[in-house]
Amino acid sequence: MTEDDAFNLDDILEEPVEVAPKVPEKEAEFMGESGLSVTGKARMEAAYGTDEGEGQGVAIVAQSATADAGTIFHQVYRPWRGVLNPRWVRNWSILRHHVYGLFSKGHRPWPITSKLIIVLIFFGSMLPIFSLLFAVLTNIEFLMEFYGINRANLWGHVLGVFHNTCCWPLLTAVVVGGLISEDRQHGTSAIYFSRPVTRTDYTLMKYISAASILSLVIVISYCAYFAAGIVLNNEGWAFLLDTMIYFLGGLAAAILLVITFTSIGLCLSSLSTGRFFPAASFLGVIFGSRILAFLIKLLFERDTLYLLSPYDNLAHVGQWMMGLNPTYDFPVAWSFVVLLLMNAVSLYVLISRVNSLEVTRE
Amino acid sequence: MTDEWIVQTNDLVKKYGEHVALDSVNLSIKAGATGLLGPNGAGKSTLLKTILGLIALTSGGGKVLNHDIATEGAKIRQKIGYMPEYDCLTPDMPAIDQVRYSGELLGMNPFAATQRAHEVLEYVGLKDQRYRQISTFSTGMEQCTKLACALIHDPDLLICDEPTNGLDARSREFMLDTLFQIVKQGGRSIIMSSHLMDDVERICDRMLMIHKGQVIAQGRIEDLKAIDREIEISVWGGASKIEQKLKDMGQSVRRTGRIMRITRVDESTYGTIIEAAAETGVQIRKMEDYEPSLEDLFIVIMDRLGYSVKSSQDLLDGPTPAMDEAATKGRQIA
Repeated sequence: MTEDDAFNLDDILEEPVEVAPKVPEKEAEFMGESGLSVTGKARMEAAYGTDEGEGQGVAIVAQSATADAGTIFHQVYRPWRGVLNPRWVRNWSILRHHVYGLFSKGHRPWPITSKLIIVLIFFGSMLPIFSLLFAVLTNIEFLMEFYGINRANLWGHVLGVFHNTCCWPLLTAVVVGGLISEDRQHGTSAIYFSRPVTRTDYTLMKYISAASILSLVIVISYCAYFAAGIVLNNEGWAFLLDTMIYFLGGLAAAILLVITFTSIGLCLSSLSTGRFFPAASFLGVIFGSRILAFLIKLLFERDTLYLLSPYDNLAHVGQWMMGLNPTYDFPVAWSFVVLLLMNAVSLYVLISRVNSLEVTRE
Repeated sequence: MTDEWIVQTNDLVKKYGEHVALDSVNLSIKAGATGLLGPNGAGKSTLLKTILGLIALTSGGGKVLNHDIATEGAKIRQKIGYMPEYDCLTPDMPAIDQVRYSGELLGMNPFAATQRAHEVLEYVGLKDQRYRQISTFSTGMEQCTKLACALIHDPDLLICDEPTNGLDARSREFMLDTLFQIVKQGGRSIIMSSHLMDDVERICDRMLMIHKGQVIAQGRIEDLKAIDREIEISVWGGASKIEQKLKDMGQSVRRTGRIMRITRVDESTYGTIIEAAAETGVQIRKMEDYEPSLEDLFIVIMDRLGYSVKSSQDLLDGPTPAMDEAATKGRQIA
């Protein structure tokens, strides 16, 4: 080292510190003014100490230029430049939120009791399959007749007393209970309507969500029962073709049941706040109308009041669809028209109540 | 975006039956922070719903972020982040899921929404609490979660309805700082509705005042304050004499003890005060401009508009001479 090359502290102090390249002007405004911008390169150097960083003994650290010494929490607004997807993606997210919530965390928080009841009803609806399996394994003729595939059993699986009276109303009450009423109770409707979600989309996706969950249990268990009957009995194509028409009739009845129960259930849910009232009132509508009609029939031997009962109208229409002898004195057309009316009135109330959900105040 | 209009309306009218919620509203809101002021029932909520493109207008029209209010509501709402005043969160959900879901409802990809939810929750100071259920949150944390929901898609315009409602002093400070940063650091626009004039004054450089469905004042807060500028003087030795003298000279004087406030007409008012002091032999120990607070301004504007306007039906029936004068003064202020 010569005298000219003498060590000079000022030269070192004044030596410009290398900084990461400047970010575009638009981005720089969010990162601070000094130009010490946050880049991937800077992060890597800070983390692993590349040759450039080690040679200078100066770490180029990703930081906000406006951070003060000693600041632990420093707010930096970061822009987002992603793309917002179209309407169907938004609608899919509503459906996913409700249906996935039954199976995983991070979506609609279904109460554990609701989940348990749904699981129990699902296994309950699978009981005929297990009984059929038992009948096949033990080869007991009585059991085979009792649980085998025929039009009465197919009707019974969807609309019979055990399922239609005990399981499906309870399932519907649990599913639709808080679907809209809780949005009103917690004001979460504002989250939907302040975004590009229309009231039509909201109502439709809530409806499809409820109907999907009901279908997962009612329709799937019905199809599983039919498939199990064929597989376990080792039936052939001829049997399949013979029974297909009954199966389709039962399927149509099951879909009609899902639609009707969803309409009435969501209508009641839209009328209230909270989960209990819609669920209790749905059970009240189903059981109350049936009990009332039953009492009137008992006293006056007139069964026309069964027209008020969704359960009996569905059962009556289902009997007609599957070619079974009707157990009601009035024409099936009446039941069909009343079912249509029940759905129409329920949907009307549902739509008008959803229209009353507020964004700015609830 | 700083020089662009973000909201422009032309003769906007919204009636609910006979009730007129918005009456010939002509708005021009520039990018930046704008405060929305008005008493209860003034039409603030209806105006916010109109800006969000949620309600069918009776007549008139307008544009928000260059989209038509009447026909492009969905596009407007994609660009706006709305923070409601009232509860809008699912209590049983963790904050991170709530914010992510609010992003998905805008059409965000679930992965992008999740990533962004982490970012915005950190930004609003809930980084360590983001996996907690919202039901366990304090009011301040709930407000921050609502803000995170509104910010998830990095909106061009943020509408905050009473953002500091129910917050303690510390949470309020944090919320106001955050909103201020969104405007200054993030370069975004805010329309902030609040009853707290101090909050509006701290965040906003412009304001919009509505009353009975009508816009009674809009513009820069500094400019609007000029309508009620006073000169405050502290005198010694004959306060009554100088008060009387100033009144005789045609000045408007308000007095409390030795402190007086004289309405500042123009630069000559200072000379008039000194002249009055000289003639009465009174010492002026202090003289300074008194800048009214936004609250003062609100009261002055309301006084000038006149409380005689009882309802929108009164406006429909045709103005009385007093109301006509009041409305004209209101328009002049605007």
